[in-house]
Amino acid sequence: MTEYGNPVTYGLKWLYLLLIVCLLMSPVFYVMYISFNENGFGARHYVFTLDWYKVIFTDRQMLTALSWTMKLSIATMLITIPLSLLAAKYYKTTRHKVLTVFLLLSPLFVSSDIMGSALLVFFKNLNGVFTFVGDKYSILWLQSWFELGFTTALIGLIIYTIPYAFIVILITMGRYRQQQTEAARACGATGWQAFTDIEFPQIRPGVFSACAFTIILAFNEYTRTNLLKGGFDTFTTVLVSEMLNTGMSEQSYAMSSLVSFIAIAIIGTIIIVTLLKSDSIAQRERVKAEPGSNES
Amino acid sequence: MSNVPPAVETRDLSKHYGQVRALQNVSVNIAAGEYFVLLGPSGGGKTTLLRTIGGFHRPTTGSVLLHGNDVSRLPPDKRPTSMVFQSYALFPHMTVLGNVSYGLSLTKMPKDQIQEKAKTMLEMVGLTGYEDRKPHELSGGQQQRVQLARSLVLDRDILLLDEPLAALDAQLRKDMCLELKHLQEQVGITFIHVTHNQEEAMTVADRIALIADGNLIEQGSARDIYERPKHRFTASFVGENNLMDGTLLTVSGDDAVVDIAGVKLMAKTEGQSFTAGDAVSISIRSELVKTDASSLSGSVEGHCIIGTFREAVYLGLTTSFRLTLDNSNEIQARFVTGQSAQQFSPGDRVSLHWQPGDTRLHAAQTKTHTP
Amino acid sequence: MSIRSGITTSLTRWVFILPIAFMMLFFALPMILTAVWSVFERTMFWMEPGFTLFSYENFFTSARLLNFLASMYHSSIAVLICLVLGFPIAVFVRRRIPQAAQHRVVLLFILPFMVSETIRVFALRPVLQRNGLVNGALMKLGVITEPLTAILYTPLGVIIGEVLSFLPFIVFSGFLAMEAVPRYIFEICEDLGANTFRVYKDIILPLAAPGIFAGSVFIFVNGIGVALLPNILGGPGAVNAGLIATQAISALDFPLAMAVSAIMTATLFLLLYIGHRLFDLTHILDPVNK
Repeated sequence: MTEYGNPVTYGLKWLYLLLIVCLLMSPVFYVMYISFNENGFGARHYVFTLDWYKVIFTDRQMLTALSWTMKLSIATMLITIPLSLLAAKYYKTTRHKVLTVFLLLSPLFVSSDIMGSALLVFFKNLNGVFTFVGDKYSILWLQSWFELGFTTALIGLIIYTIPYAFIVILITMGRYRQQQTEAARACGATGWQAFTDIEFPQIRPGVFSACAFTIILAFNEYTRTNLLKGGFDTFTTVLVSEMLNTGMSEQSYAMSSLVSFIAIAIIGTIIIVTLLKSDSIAQRERVKAEPGSNES
Repeated sequence: MSNVPPAVETRDLSKHYGQVRALQNVSVNIAAGEYFVLLGPSGGGKTTLLRTIGGFHRPTTGSVLLHGNDVSRLPPDKRPTSMVFQSYALFPHMTVLGNVSYGLSLTKMPKDQIQEKAKTMLEMVGLTGYEDRKPHELSGGQQQRVQLARSLVLDRDILLLDEPLAALDAQLRKDMCLELKHLQEQVGITFIHVTHNQEEAMTVADRIALIADGNLIEQGSARDIYERPKHRFTASFVGENNLMDGTLLTVSGDDAVVDIAGVKLMAKTEGQSFTAGDAVSISIRSELVKTDASSLSGSVEGHCIIGTFREAVYLGLTTSFRLTLDNSNEIQARFVTGQSAQQFSPGDRVSLHWQPGDTRLHAAQTKTHTP
Repeated sequence: MSIRSGITTSLTRWVFILPIAFMMLFFALPMILTAVWSVFERTMFWMEPGFTLFSYENFFTSARLLNFLASMYHSSIAVLICLVLGFPIAVFVRRRIPQAAQHRVVLLFILPFMVSETIRVFALRPVLQRNGLVNGALMKLGVITEPLTAILYTPLGVIIGEVLSFLPFIVFSGFLAMEAVPRYIFEICEDLGANTFRVYKDIILPLAAPGIFAGSVFIFVNGIGVALLPNILGGPGAVNAGLIATQAISALDFPLAMAVSAIMTATLFLLLYIGHRLFDLTHILDPVNK
C-alpha cells in the first residue's frame, strides 16, 4: 500500500481477492459439507457422521487403487524433479532459450485428452515396433517395454508435471546468484560440490515445493492416467467410474473430500512451514546481529 | 633467476563470443609476488582476461600458464588461483566462519585446524567477533573482507580480484585500497586486480596494464603510465591529459615538429617511428600547462599556443581553466587553488605554455583503441 | 587434462540434454506424428498405413465442426471472464502488497488447483443442481422463488466450469507478467496523475501483454480440449475437441482421434506463432533482460 492510499479501497480489494479464492474453493467445501451428512446430498435434515469415511477404508478395490496411485505419484516425482532441475540448469546456460522453454512448457498448452490420445496411439505403435523387433531377433526383454501399463502412465504423468516443476524451480533459481557457484569453484569445489553445498541449500524450498506439487498433480490426474494405465486402477479412475455408473454416492463425496483434505493439508503445510521457517530464521539472525549482543 | 617462470603468463590469448572479440592476442607476464592491476574502461575485456586466467572462461585461442604450467583447459578448482568477486558472492546460507572455512572443508584438513586457520584469517582482515553472522548482516566493506579471507585462507599463490571495491562508497574504497596493498605486502602472493578506477589502480599497483577493446594497450609502473604514456589511449584514460590532434610536419632524429591549429609545436619521438605527414597527437598533462595573459612572452618557441578562455572550474584543492584552441580542441590548465592570481573573462585570448619535455607524441587514434 | 576428466565433462554435458531428449521423444514426437496417423486407414480395431483424408472429412463435414466452433466461442467467453475477474488481482498483488508477501498471496490460488480437477468438476453438479447450493442460497435470500434449472447441462454450466477451473492460471501468468512492470512505474503514474483506466491501457497492458496472452491461450486451448467439462456439465450438444478425441478412441476410430489432435496442435501452433510475432513470448520468464 502506498503511503497515501485509501485504506478502504485497499481493504475492499483484499476482500475481493479472498472472495475469489472462496468462490474457487466453494464446490470443494460444499462436497466436504455433504460428506459429513448421514442423509447425503439434498436431504432435508443434516446429521453429522463420519460413517461415509469408514466405508472407504473397507473398500478393497479403493485401497488397491490408492496404493497404485501413490506408487505412480512418487515414481513421477522421482523422475520429474531431477529432470526439471537439469532442465532449469540447462536453460540458464543455453543459448537456445526459446526452443528449450517452448519444449518444456508446451505440455501446459496441450489439453489432457489430446495429449493422452496422442500418447496412447504413440505407445501402441511403439509397442508394436518393440514386439516386432523382439520377435525377429528373439530379444524377449524388449517386448513389453511400452505395453500400456505402469511405464506408459508414468511417462504420461512425467510429461504432464515437468512444466510445473520446471517453472517452480526456475523461479526459485532466479533468485540465486551464479557468482556464488563461481566463488565455490574458486575455493576448490568441483561443479557437483558447488551445486550440493552452495546452490541446492538455497533453492531447496523451491525444489521441495516442486516435489509436493508434482506428487499432488500426478495423484489427481485422471484423463492421461485413464488413457495410458492399461490394466490397473487409480484413485481418480475408480472415483470417476463410480460417479458415472452410480451417480454421486455418499461414499464418493467422502472420498473426494478426503483426498482434497490431504492435498490442501500438504500444500498448506508446505506454504506455512517454508515461509514461516525462512521468516523465523531471518528474525533470529536479525536478533543475533543486534549491535552489542554479539560484538566482541 | 631467469629460468623461474612467471607466476602468470598468457600467450596470444583470445576470447570470442560469436562475432564479438572480447580479447585479442593478449600476452602478459606477471611475476610472483607482484601486485598487478588490469585497468580500463568497462566492457574493455579486463574482466574477461581475469576470468580466463581464473578458469571461468575457456580461451578461444592462446594459452594461460601458471608457474610455467599450461592450465588453459583446467576448471577453476584445479588451478592455483583464487578469486574475489565484485559483490553478492558470499554464501548467504552460511555464517562468516562457514564462508571462510568452506574451501578448506573440501580438503582433508582436520576440522579444528580449519577453524583455527579461518579464525586467524578473519583476524587478519579485522573481522574477529563476526564469525557467527550471516553475510546479509554485514556492511559492503565487511562482506568484501570476508571474501578476501575466504580466498586467502586457501594459501593459493595467485589471488584474482574482480572489481572488488566497485560496490563500496568513495571513502571506504580509498581506505580499503590501502588495506589491500598492505595485505598483499604481508602475504607476499601475486595479486591481479581489475578496476576501472584510476586512483584505485595507482594506489595498489606495482604494475598496471591498460586494456581496452580486447587489446592490451600498454603496461608499466604507475609512474610510467601516468607520466610517460606511450599511446594516445593511455593519455586519454589516465590522468587529466590534454590531447591536441594535428599533423606531423618534420622529423629529424628525435625531434618532431607538429602542426596544431596552424601553430608549430615541438615534441620528442622517443623511439617511435613516424614519417612526415602522419596524423599525430600531442598530449600534455593539465597541471603542466601554464597560462599567461601577455602574449607569449617568456615562453619557449614550439612549446606555446594561443587559446580562448571559456571558464574557470573551482574543484577545491585545484582550480581548472577551460580553454579552446582555434581548431576548437579543448584544453585544460589546472593549478592548486590560490597559487595563481590570474583572472580571465570568457572570450579572452590567453597564451598557454609549458616546459620542453612535458609533451608526449602519439600516433593518432587507431580504430581499435576507442577510449 | 586427463582422459577421465574429459569423459566426465562430456558426460555431464549430455546429462543436461536429457530432459530435452525426453521431451522430444515422448512429447514433441508423438504430437508431430498425430498428423501422420490422422491420414492412416481405419481398420476394425486399429489402423494401417495409408493415405486418406477421410478423418478430416468426417470432422469438417459433420455436426462435430459446429460443436467444435461452439466450444471455441464458449471458451473465448471463459477467457474474457477469467481476465476481468483474475488479472486485476495479479496487478493488485504486485502493486500494493509488500514484495516479501507477494508470493504467499499468490500461493492462495494454488489451493483450489491442488484439488483434483475431476473432483472440482463433479462437485459443480451438486452446487448447480436444482436443489443444490446456488439455488438453495438464492431462494433463502429471496432473490428467486423457483429454482434455476437453466445452469447445469447448458453452455452456461460449461463456462462456469471453465472459469472456476482455470481462473488461478490467469492470476499466475498475470503475476509473472507483472514482473515486467517495475514498481516505480506506478509511482511515476501517480506523480503524473494518470487514472486507473489510463494506467491499465498505457502501461500495464502493453508491458504485461506476453504473460496475459500466454494465460489466455492456456485457458482457451484447455477450454476446447478438456473433455471432462462438457462431459459432466454440458448438455447434449456440448462437445469439444477433447471429447471428440476420447469418444473416437472409445469407438476405436484412432485416425479420427489423431486428426482432432493434429487440428488442436495446429491451432495451438498458430496461436503461439501469432503471439510470438506480436510480443516476444520468451520475455515471460526473463522480463529483466528485455
